[in-house]
Amino acid sequence: MADVFIPGSLEEAVGFLTDHPATAMPIAGGTDLLVDTRTGRARPDRLVDLSGLREIGGFELDGELLRLGALARIRSIELDPELGRRATALVEAARVLGSVQIRTMATVGGNLCHGTPSAEMPPALLVHEAVAEITGIGGQYSIPLADFFVAPGRTVLAPGDLLTSVRARVPSSRAGSCYLRQTVRWSMDLAGVGVSASVHVQGGAVSNARVALSAVAPVPMLVAGLEDTVVGTDLAPEVLAEAGRQAAEACSPISDARGTADYRRQVVSVLVPRALRIAWLRATGSWPEGSPAPVNGVWTREQR
Amino acid sequence: MPAVRASELQVVGRRIPKLDAPEKVTGQIAYADDLRMSGLLEGAILRSPHPHARILSIDVAAAERLPGVRAVIHAGNVQQGRFGYGNDNAPLKGDKVRFIGDEVAAVAAVDEEVAKRAIELIHVEYEVLPAVFDPYEALEDSSPSIHDELPDVSGNVSMRWDFDHGDVDAAADRAAVIVEGRYSAPQAAPAPIETHVVIASFTPSGHLTVWSPVHMVFMYRKALADVLGLDWRKITVIQPPVGGSFGGKIDIDTHDFIAVMLAKQARRPVRLAMSREEEFVGTRTRQPIHFRLRTGADAEGNLLFRDAEVVSDNGAYNAWGSHAMLVAMNTITSMYRVPNSRIRCAVVYTNKNYGGSVRGFGNPQATFAVEQQMEELADALGMDPMDLRLRNANQSGDVTPQGMEITSCGLSQCLDIVREQSGWDRRRGKMRDRHRGLGAAAYIHVGGGARIYGSDGCGAIVKVDESGQVTLISGSSELGQGSETALAMIVAEEMGVPIEAVHVVNSNTDIKPWDVGVHASRTTFVAGNAARMAAAAARDKILETAAELLDARASDLRIREGVVEVAEEPDRQIDFGRAVRRRLLREEGSVVMATAFYDPPTHHQDKEYRGNISAAYGFGAHVAEVEVDPGTGMVRLLNLWTAHDVGRAINPMSCEGQIEGGAAMGVGLALSEELVMFDGLIAAPNLHDYGLPTAVDVPRTVVNLVETVDPLGPFGAKGVGEGGIIPPPAAIANAIADATGIRPREYPMRPWKVKHWIDSEERSHVVAGKDSSGHG
Ligand SMILES: Cc1cc2nc3c(=O)[nH]c(=O)nc-3n(C[C@H](O)[C@H](O)[C@H](O)COP(=O)(O)OP(=O)(O)OC[C@H]3O[C@@H](n4cnc5c(N)ncnc54)[C@H](O)[C@@H]3O)c2cc1C
Repeated sequence: MADVFIPGSLEEAVGFLTDHPATAMPIAGGTDLLVDTRTGRARPDRLVDLSGLREIGGFELDGELLRLGALARIRSIELDPELGRRATALVEAARVLGSVQIRTMATVGGNLCHGTPSAEMPPALLVHEAVAEITGIGGQYSIPLADFFVAPGRTVLAPGDLLTSVRARVPSSRAGSCYLRQTVRWSMDLAGVGVSASVHVQGGAVSNARVALSAVAPVPMLVAGLEDTVVGTDLAPEVLAEAGRQAAEACSPISDARGTADYRRQVVSVLVPRALRIAWLRATGSWPEGSPAPVNGVWTREQR
Repeated sequence: MPAVRASELQVVGRRIPKLDAPEKVTGQIAYADDLRMSGLLEGAILRSPHPHARILSIDVAAAERLPGVRAVIHAGNVQQGRFGYGNDNAPLKGDKVRFIGDEVAAVAAVDEEVAKRAIELIHVEYEVLPAVFDPYEALEDSSPSIHDELPDVSGNVSMRWDFDHGDVDAAADRAAVIVEGRYSAPQAAPAPIETHVVIASFTPSGHLTVWSPVHMVFMYRKALADVLGLDWRKITVIQPPVGGSFGGKIDIDTHDFIAVMLAKQARRPVRLAMSREEEFVGTRTRQPIHFRLRTGADAEGNLLFRDAEVVSDNGAYNAWGSHAMLVAMNTITSMYRVPNSRIRCAVVYTNKNYGGSVRGFGNPQATFAVEQQMEELADALGMDPMDLRLRNANQSGDVTPQGMEITSCGLSQCLDIVREQSGWDRRRGKMRDRHRGLGAAAYIHVGGGARIYGSDGCGAIVKVDESGQVTLISGSSELGQGSETALAMIVAEEMGVPIEAVHVVNSNTDIKPWDVGVHASRTTFVAGNAARMAAAAARDKILETAAELLDARASDLRIREGVVEVAEEPDRQIDFGRAVRRRLLREEGSVVMATAFYDPPTHHQDKEYRGNISAAYGFGAHVAEVEVDPGTGMVRLLNLWTAHDVGRAINPMSCEGQIEGGAAMGVGLALSEELVMFDGLIAAPNLHDYGLPTAVDVPRTVVNLVETVDPLGPFGAKGVGEGGIIPPPAAIANAIADATGIRPREYPMRPWKVKHWIDSEERSHVVAGKDSSGHG
């Protein structure tokens, strides 16, 4: 049983964590940490409850810039119509995370800081050029989210460091994004493969595109070098297939109970084209507004 | 008893919510885990970390010294016997451990934390032995011997189930078409929300009371006495409300013995509650079964034979799972009319958690093979699979090769209904371009008891007290399946009282009469007949007294809503309470109480597995519709149409609930549920990785109740508890085959397997520019 410390400010939280580096852990929604405590993966003696720290909660849009507080709840992202238009991948990723109950408690910060290779938020944020803002005893600094993850369950955060917010770029026009995943069950499941894509369009062609993957490498990853394949094209089937091949080559999945490494690579090569295509349709205004993509990117006529 | 027309029924056939539903949905019911008593200790079990090892020594000194520890037990300091078929098991292992999770020692302490710490302080020295996990490997001569201490076991074969009827080889020579294939069913778990919890307590004078949510409570009591050397007349077993069992709690398990031994040693009541991980690792699972099956038919589509080689993967010990072949065999020999059949089955020990009894008991496994082969056969014959099924369907009056006497039988009607509702004739085989498909499967299952023990009977006592309240004391018990409500309805119907007037008591061995226990979909049939007989006898006593008081002949009386009246002059009436008081409150008075015992007119199977083991058989048919994503292998179950011959629906709401719930479990088996193991280690013993289906995975299930009014069932009812789980794995496999052209050989049909099958199939054909990205 751990003691709970309720800090009055961010500084107090950082101070307490720095003073008890070996024994104290921050807790946000607790949906990962309480499970870890039960399985013995984490054994904190002291919990620093972040939930009262308003300054790191909520989210705001400022032009093309989205600032997501680390404490922003997944459920509040899922339900925001403006984010639905501008950061569609993020909202689609939020929609499939756990259950309503879990999403109501779960935070963006917790999802990123837990460092789960299959977590939902990282790929969706990576395609939106996210930057992590961190406050520690040495002050404040920021790094690209792509450099935030170190290994399964590990991030760059040092004891005492807190993730305070994530900045992302969410253009209001001529851009679209998408998040798809492969799972065993159709809900309440962790991704066997997670794929996010964003596409910017200029003059009828791709001017910029990003693809990020989860669950197919030790850490969530951006696929490098796709620009040469897709920029300047209208994402014809051969281009999409080539992008899928590149992504499948770039990742390094493992085999486990939920699928073999080969299978995961194949799924990457299938989901990447689908995600890029849906992002393109959104960027070009040909996707029904407000309509989420099916989980695996394939329409089923009788959607339930 | 005379058949009753539906129009005459007052209570039976009404949709009545389960009587205990309000307490359950408000969380007020006290499950075993909610029970507390003074001085209660918490138990914990030390389990083997090795799949196969010899125990060299056990050192408990440090655990015993830990403050708060009240008892530490192991095979060396307790008195325990052996149990299990062939006595191959013991509560605490002294010689060898045979799977990861095997019980080695146990502790009782003042709280859970101390108990767990004490467990960590026990030091066991093992000599690790080579282990075997694959039953086919276990059959090889070079394989380690798991039960070398048992002289009758050789080659790790625990038992065989061989059956012969007619001449299979001659039939094969005559067959126009023969299909052959391998089909595998995995190790699954009952996965109830309530894990196993047991509390054991001795009085100072040595009387033992055990609280345990077990089904077969009388056999449980006897096993406790036999194995632990106790006097069974000094044991009371109380069954708290059950928070889900699905067969997992059918019978005594190792931890039950351990709790009692701990209580004895500590001289304090002990509670042993399984964690979710222990529930998966250390309690019983669904038997994995592997089939090599051949079915043959003549050119018209008349089935000629079935020929099966079966390997049943037993795990480390014989529990109920070793007998799952009892039911699997029925399906192979008797699902549809099959004139010749041959079965060669070996039940093989492996170093894994072992099989128990889970809803459907061997039948989903066998039906997966048999019903896929029906559609393969139809395709080979160029026939519609429904036509093939109807041509060979079991009918009333049939006696199957195993001697099962089919009386009421709605199989053809069930097939017709799901065929019509699913648009089978228009749609099957015509949706492959959209990766859609339809598949069907039917089942046969015992529905009027199952004689597997000396008695298949159940006792009942009906008492009417001076308030007019009717109490049914039934030998059977409630697992959440709604039997209490169904039994109360049967009593209310028979006595002419409102359902609210009937109370059911069914959870204490000191009070209730014998019942073999809840299994084999038998409770409504067997306990229902017993309850009906006792109710009729109690009603006659009321009528007798009422006749005296009303100065009328008993035959001129009728009962309505708990009031006895003279049929011709309804003003002359008397209520139940008053009738009882008149009988009781006088010199030489008496009470109104009647007992009955019903044992179905069935027979044990003989040594050749022949005999009418059930007084009725249940039938049903499902059609599943799926959409397959060939890119990821993800399967979306779109629709499930079901029709079940329930004899008569005592409570249609409960029947639908049983069928929907069963079907949901069947969907889980088909698509997601599996205890994935690596070298005998269950990789992730939690409900998430296990893949229990969610509401999103289970489509709206159309349920049709077909009422064939069974001649022996209470008001014509027969068993319905297990039927729903049986067809889905086969029906869904058939639907995937229709959608893709691949033939699933094993379940669960998880995405990576489906993808693998599709790709292997594609590689074996010329790829004709098919778009597998799925965009349309
Ligand atoms: C039933 C269930 C289903 C789930 N399904 C999914 C799913 O589908 N997809 C998915 O991605 N996840 C899923 N999760 C995991 C979990 O819900 C998410 O990862 C969630 O976003 C974690 O957020 P939290 O606020 O609850 O984190 P917490 O549990 O509070 O914290 C997680 C970790 O991050 C640290 N931490 C939290 N906030 C900060 C901060 N600001 N700075 C530094 N460190 C911090 C904590 O110390 C802890 O180590 C599921 C969990 C459960 C229990």
